Amino acid sequence: MANLDAVQEDAKLDMTPMIDCVFLLMIFFVLVIDLSQTDLEDLILPKAKYVQPDDQPPDVRPIANINQGGDVIYKGNTYYAAAQHGENYEGMKKLLVEWRNTLKLTYKPLKEGQAVSAKNPNIPDDPVLVRADKWTEWHYVGKFMTACSQPYAQFWKLELAMSEIDKEDKMLKAQKAK
Amino acid sequence: MTDALGEPDLRRRRWALLAQNPPEPGETYTVTSKPKRKQRRDAATSESEVDMTPMIDVVFLLIVFFLCIDFKILESKLPAYLPKDTGSRGGGTMEPQEKLRIRIVLDRRGEKTLRPAAKNAYYWPGHKVHFSVGATRADSLDDLKRELEELHRDPRWSVPDPKRPGRMKPMSVVIEPDAGTVYGDVAACVDAVKFVGFDDIHFGGGGGR
Repeated sequence: MANLDAVQEDAKLDMTPMIDCVFLLMIFFVLVIDLSQTDLEDLILPKAKYVQPDDQPPDVRPIANINQGGDVIYKGNTYYAAAQHGENYEGMKKLLVEWRNTLKLTYKPLKEGQAVSAKNPNIPDDPVLVRADKWTEWHYVGKFMTACSQPYAQFWKLELAMSEIDKEDKMLKAQKAK
Repeated sequence: MTDALGEPDLRRRRWALLAQNPPEPGETYTVTSKPKRKQRRDAATSESEVDMTPMIDVVFLLIVFFLCIDFKILESKLPAYLPKDTGSRGGGTMEPQEKLRIRIVLDRRGEKTLRPAAKNAYYWPGHKVHFSVGATRADSLDDLKRELEELHRDPRWSVPDPKRPGRMKPMSVVIEPDAGTVYGDVAACVDAVKFVGFDDIHFGGGGGR
């Protein structure tokens, strides 16, 4: 009888620390995933070998996500929907102007004695990161680039997002294996 | 009953209690309780036995979580430039600059196929493009690399470096994708251009239309 009591006493597991840990983990991941990935849409980037690693991204960086349908998305908001807006690129303009006005961008330094004018425009020196799907038709990306170089934006540096692995290839191989 | 420091002297108190109630003749007196210090040490030892099971559970959950989650981390990037004079209609004139032009021409669009595990995303098996470097046609990326390597070695395709007077640098490259080409085609072309050593990459053409 005494032995049975001892066994029953041993079998009582204290669940409190585990529940504490699980709750903490949940809070941590909910916060971290939400904060770090709002800028990055779920796209399959093209594979490239001779690329610069993006291991230390700057604090301020305009990121344009362009999906297969040609929609331009920033922080989860669609600024230009190709199927809906067609040749009306006001949404892209709005996004680029918003970047210029709200992001703390650095500007190309003017020479001594030069003032910002139509002749010497205040050109942002920060690159725009263009993230497009591997199969996004180039003309959508081209339209965005054209908008970048317009007088209201004047972004001239670009970074094309690439991947070191071909995710699509992996997915197709996994499908074949099934 | 206090000791020299004014603290209650428990030992003397216990002996005083024994003196007041002495054991009967034949009765044995045994001290069953352990000294308090020993009791505390025993209690601490039993509390320090941590149950590892929940921690192991959590570690396994974490391993499963990290294996399953598909992080959307950006791995790498390629720099490129847009013409600075397009937007600034300030009347300033740009000096004409020689540039190496690469056209990406669509041969075959491919068959539109739904991407695995995707709702609205497709891929085009059979999609094919070729590249035109001047009058030379390159049917594959390897051909393009070979052609560009030859041009990179040829001093006629170098221009004076404005940042380092007296030195030459590889000519700027303008990539002109044609209608029907996709971002993946352009990325592959930019990758090949970077591989050969041309660093100044621009985009031109009709924006792929």
